[in-house]
Amino acid sequence: MNIDLKELTQLAPIFRELFKGYHISRSNPELYAQLASQQDQYRSLFKALGYELTCDSRGFYYFVPEQMGAQVNKTAQRLALFTFILVEHLADQGRDPLAVLDGGSLGRDELPALLEKYKDLFLQAEVTTQDELEEKVMRRLTQLGFASEDNGIYRFLAPMHRFLDVCLSVQQDRDLAATLHSSLPLPTPVLLDDETEDEIISIAEEPTEESEEDALARAMAEERDAQEMDA
Amino acid sequence: MIDPKRVLRALAEHWTLLEPLCERFDAGTLSLVELRNQLAAQLPEGTPTDVTALLDQWIRLDILVPVAKSPNRFELNAQIHDFLAYLRREHRLGLCLEIEAYLRHLERLAGYIKDAFEVRDAADLARQLRLLDMRVRDVLKKLANDEQALVAVAERAKTSDRQIPLRQRYAEVLATWDEYVEPMIQLVAADGAFEQGVYRVEHVLLRLLGEQQRLGQLVDDDLLLRTHARILEMQTTAQLTLRRARELLLPLREEARRHNAVTRGAALALAAIRKKGLDAVPQASMPLFSRPQSTFLGTASQVEAYVYALARFEPKPAQFPKAHSSRKGDAPRAPRTAREMIERCEQALPLPDLMVWLLEQEPEGATDELLYWFSRLSRDGRFQRERLERRDYLTREHQVSLSSFALIKPAGTTV
Repeated sequence: MNIDLKELTQLAPIFRELFKGYHISRSNPELYAQLASQQDQYRSLFKALGYELTCDSRGFYYFVPEQMGAQVNKTAQRLALFTFILVEHLADQGRDPLAVLDGGSLGRDELPALLEKYKDLFLQAEVTTQDELEEKVMRRLTQLGFASEDNGIYRFLAPMHRFLDVCLSVQQDRDLAATLHSSLPLPTPVLLDDETEDEIISIAEEPTEESEEDALARAMAEERDAQEMDA
Repeated sequence: MIDPKRVLRALAEHWTLLEPLCERFDAGTLSLVELRNQLAAQLPEGTPTDVTALLDQWIRLDILVPVAKSPNRFELNAQIHDFLAYLRREHRLGLCLEIEAYLRHLERLAGYIKDAFEVRDAADLARQLRLLDMRVRDVLKKLANDEQALVAVAERAKTSDRQIPLRQRYAEVLATWDEYVEPMIQLVAADGAFEQGVYRVEHVLLRLLGEQQRLGQLVDDDLLLRTHARILEMQTTAQLTLRRARELLLPLREEARRHNAVTRGAALALAAIRKKGLDAVPQASMPLFSRPQSTFLGTASQVEAYVYALARFEPKPAQFPKAHSSRKGDAPRAPRTAREMIERCEQALPLPDLMVWLLEQEPEGATDELLYWFSRLSRDGRFQRERLERRDYLTREHQVSLSSFALIKPAGTTV
């Protein structure tokens, strides 16, 4: 494929934004229009440079980072948690969560009630005050192109579909529903660590020695399997 | 027996009063008081006697009928209601079962046609064929009505208040899908009752045509061909109605289902997080973000020192200088900022060798710090650089081998 750099008039700003992890959607009309009209050229160029440009048909573009290690991405977790909470909160209020998260808006004045109602859950994401909620969640949402903020009103943009997709996949995840009712540990998310505040060094836990109970349980399971195979 | 002309004349004369009443009657029955109030509102100059006379007339003409066991409540006569609905292009969705019942009847009629032909009863054969034809028209009428009703269902869902939850907004769509579209899909499927019924009737008609040619005519061939054509039209219309129903309702149904799935997914995820913590969110679908990769130069020893410090970290009380005590000795030198260094470098341009200049500026500087400044300054956009031959440089502690740069002002800039 021949790439004509003269046609890629917005190459520098587009690359700068995507490289920062920003999602380009219609809220950036200039960059979006350029990407939409020269999609294949941009994709090929970025691919040659080692970046995978994802073009989501719902109207947004972003770079898929390489999976560099099995580390937890705090930001992704935090933003996903916020989405789950918001969906439940809106549904509880009889409002339409999709209408809000897909192009709708949320007032900053609604945040304190949200924080109060889901204090225990936000605590898990190290968000305890309104400032932290704005700094660690709302600001990140706007920095990454998931939302825009104007005069105390947050408007959710098309890339929010990435989080709505998480809701859908959770719903389809029968394993998750099953593990909810068991005491087995859930699998740890394997995500790219991209947060400066996250741990720089991942200290892998030493595999703990099998306890007597676990050993017994394992032996029983093996025995049962063997019996089933015999049968 | 009520004279049809009088009914039609009354409907025409009182259309302006009846039309708004239709909407009320669509929603249920009306008491006599409600009816009188409604009419009084529409006839501001009418006396109560006029209203009574009007109601009496409608009741006499069977346009209004009392509700069974509630003599003071009224409803529109079902036939009139249907007729008015047709005139107002208001369509109520019928039942899929009705179509199925019509189909069964068509099959029975085909049986009678076969019997009539076998006993060579021309009059009965013609009668049964006419009945069959009329029944097919009924099905066609019903399908057309249902299609309009489906359009109305979709429109109501799309135009209703965006603020009410999707589940309520699309309740009618979901119910319509389950009660009409889904059974219709099964009915019109290749092995469904509709196709099979049509096939059987068609088979009888075609056989009749063949037999007539062989044994002589009992009825006009045209009648048979017309009926056959209408049956094929019915089959096509049923398929088109179904396709239209799917096109109209499927996206709405998917939206409602997706909405339910999103809400359920969020609740499930929150339940998991409550129980197992934040890591309970399943990994596979979690969005990954890239972020600006910082391109600072760090030596292995810096990282080593950093890790070492992390591992051996012990909190220390911070010592703040006291306001009254005077400082002893020289003030500790503040670390150099990038701006400060760039300014100094700019003033010193052109630099024949950046590393030599750095060693002159910071003779006591640590090697990693010097290398950091070397990396930072040599890549700064304000300078144009030219690579030099590799050579050794002596810092306070180390001997460093690198290819340094000569820095000059970029072409076209003025001071």
